[in-house]
Amino acid sequence: METLGFLIDGFGVALAPHNLMFALLGAFLGTLIGALPGLGPANGVAILIPLAFTLGLRPETAMIMLTAVYAGAMYGGRISSILLNIPGDEPAMMTCLDGYPMAQKGKAAEALAISAVASFMGSLIATIGLILLAPILADFALTFGPAEYFALFMLAFATLGGITGKNPVKTVLAAAIGLIIATVGIDNTGVQRYTFGVLELYEGVDFIIAIVGLFAISELLFFIEDRAGGGKESVAVNKLKLSWKDIRGIMPTSIRGGVLGFIAGVLPGAGASLGSFISYTLEKRVLGRKGYFGEGDPRGVAAPEAGNNGASSGALVPMLTLGVPGSGTTAVLLALLISLNITPGPLMFTQNADIVWGVIAALLIGNFLLLVLNIPLVGIFVKLLSVPPMYLLPIVTMVAFVGIYSISNTTFDLYFMVAFGVAGYVLRKLEIPLVPIILGLLLGPEMEKNLRHALDIADGDWTVLWDSGLAIGLWVFAGLGLILPYIVGPLLRRRMQVAPGGAEGD
Amino acid sequence: MTFNDRIFGVLMIVLAVAYGWGATQFPEPFGGSEAVGPETFPLLLAVVLGLSSLYLIVRPDPDNAWPWSRTGLELIIALVVLVLYAMLLQPLGFIISTLLAVGTLCWRMGARPVKAYVTGGVAGVVVFLLFNFALDLSLPLGLLEFLEVS
Repeated sequence: METLGFLIDGFGVALAPHNLMFALLGAFLGTLIGALPGLGPANGVAILIPLAFTLGLRPETAMIMLTAVYAGAMYGGRISSILLNIPGDEPAMMTCLDGYPMAQKGKAAEALAISAVASFMGSLIATIGLILLAPILADFALTFGPAEYFALFMLAFATLGGITGKNPVKTVLAAAIGLIIATVGIDNTGVQRYTFGVLELYEGVDFIIAIVGLFAISELLFFIEDRAGGGKESVAVNKLKLSWKDIRGIMPTSIRGGVLGFIAGVLPGAGASLGSFISYTLEKRVLGRKGYFGEGDPRGVAAPEAGNNGASSGALVPMLTLGVPGSGTTAVLLALLISLNITPGPLMFTQNADIVWGVIAALLIGNFLLLVLNIPLVGIFVKLLSVPPMYLLPIVTMVAFVGIYSISNTTFDLYFMVAFGVAGYVLRKLEIPLVPIILGLLLGPEMEKNLRHALDIADGDWTVLWDSGLAIGLWVFAGLGLILPYIVGPLLRRRMQVAPGGAEGD
Repeated sequence: MTFNDRIFGVLMIVLAVAYGWGATQFPEPFGGSEAVGPETFPLLLAVVLGLSSLYLIVRPDPDNAWPWSRTGLELIIALVVLVLYAMLLQPLGFIISTLLAVGTLCWRMGARPVKAYVTGGVAGVVVFLLFNFALDLSLPLGLLEFLEVS
C-alpha cells in the first residue's frame, strides 16, 4: 500500500511538535470563528491567511493550521445553531431544526455533545474517503491536457452556484468579474494589461486583499446596516448527562450522514448545505414515525452535523487533486496554496507529497483534537458567544487591517481592501455571489495559461477545446451545472425552506 | 422594483465594452503574435460579461432595499472611519489609530462611548505588544515613538 506509506510520512509531519501546536491553535480559533455569528468559515480562514504569512510559517505548518481552522469552523457552526437558533453559516441551518428545540427543553449540553460526536464521525468517515479517493483521482487527473483543464475550470465555475443556486447568470457574471480582475498586471508574454501606469498594479491584484475585503469588510457593513450590534439571547447550558447508550443511538445516523455528506462534498455543485440537507431528510425518512424530528430528536442533530462535516472534508478532494475548489472556504485554502507558491493539482501529490499528506494527517489528528476540545471546553465557546457583535466586529476589522498591512507595510493595500469591502457590500445587495469572483481571481492566470497552451499545441484551432471525450464530458457537465438550477433549483429550494419553516411553527 | 439589477447591468456593459476595447489596444508582444495573444482571453471575458449583463437588464431580479436615511449615514460614517484608519495608521501609529477607529466603530454600533474606546485602546495595545514582541513584526508607533525602549 503506497498510500499507507505516504500517510505514515504525513503523520510524521503533522505530529512534529510545532505543527501539532499550530493545529491545536487552528482548531481552537476555528471553533471560535465558526461559533461567532456572522463569521463564517471562509471569512475566518481569509482573515487568518495574512497572519500565517507574517508569522513566516513554513508551507506545511501554515496549511495544517488553516486546515484545522477550516475543520474547527465546521464544528463551531453548530454552537450558535443550537443555542441561538442562528446558523453560523448555511450548512448549519439544518442543525437548528432539532438542536434548538433540544436546547429549549433544557438539553443544550446533550445537543452540543451529540453534535460534536456526530461531527467527529462525519469528518472521520470523509477523511478516510479522502485518503482512499484522492490518490486515485490525482492519478487520473495526470492524464488531463490543457484543453481538459480549461473545460474543468469552466465546470468549476458553472457548478459553483450549486444546484440550489438562485440565478446562474449571476454566477457567470461574478466569475467574469473575478477573471477580469485577474487579468490586471503584467501577463506572461510581458505585456502590461490594465495597469494604467500604477506601479502597485504591475504585479496584479493580490487576491488575499480582495478576499479579506470582500468577506470581512462587507460583513462589518452588513452588521451596521442590520443594527445587529446587540446580539441575541442565548439558551442557558445545563450540566451534561450523556450515557454511552445515547452515543450508540446516534452512531448509525452519524455514519449514514458522514457517507452522504462526503459524496455531496466531492461532487461539484453540491456542497455542504446540500450534504446536511440530504442526510437530515434521509434520516427523517428512514426512521419515519419512530423519531420525533423537529421537536428535539438527537438523531436530528446528529444527521445534519455528520453530513455537513463529511461534506467539508469531501470538498477537499477536488481542491487537492484538481486544484479546483468547490466551495468558498476551499477556495480560500486554495488561495493560501497559491500564495505559498505551491501549484495545486495532481502534481502536488508527487512534488509536495509531504504537504498533502501532512495536511490529510492533520485533518485526522485535528478531528480528535476537536472532539477533545469540544466536549469539555464547550463552556468557553459559549461564553465567547455572548460577546456582542458591536465589540467583536470592529476587532475583527482591526485584525484584518493588521494582517493586510503586515503583508507589505503599505497603506495602498488597505485602501484597496476597503474598496473591495464596499464592492462586496454592493454585490451582496444585488445578490451576486462573491465566491465565483474569488475563484475567478484565483484561477484566472491558470485558465489563461491552459487556453494558451491548448491553442498553441493545436496551432490556433479552437476546436481542440472540445476534441477529446473527456473534455466533451466536462463541457456537458458544465452545461448541466448551469441549466439544472433552473429546473431542479426552485423545487429543492422550496423544500429546504419548508423544512425550517415547519420547525418554527412547532 | 427592478432597478438595481438593470443599473448594475448597464454599468457592467459599459465596463465590458471599455475592457474589450482596452484589450484591442495592447501592443503586440515581443516575438510576434501567437494564436493566443494577451488580448484573446480578455476579449472572451468581455463577451461573457457583456452577455450576462444583458440578461440582467432583460430579466432582472427583484430589488433589495438600500439603506437610505440614518442607517445609510452610519454606513458612510463607518466607511470614513475605515479610510481614515488606513490613512492615519502610519502617522499616528498603530495604538492611537486603533483606539480611535475601533472605538468609534464600537460606539456607532451601539456600545457606550467609554466602553467602546476602552475596548479600542485595549485591543490596540494588546495586538501591538503581541506583534512587536511575540511575533517580531513591527507595527508603526507613530506619535508614541518616544516610548520606544530599544
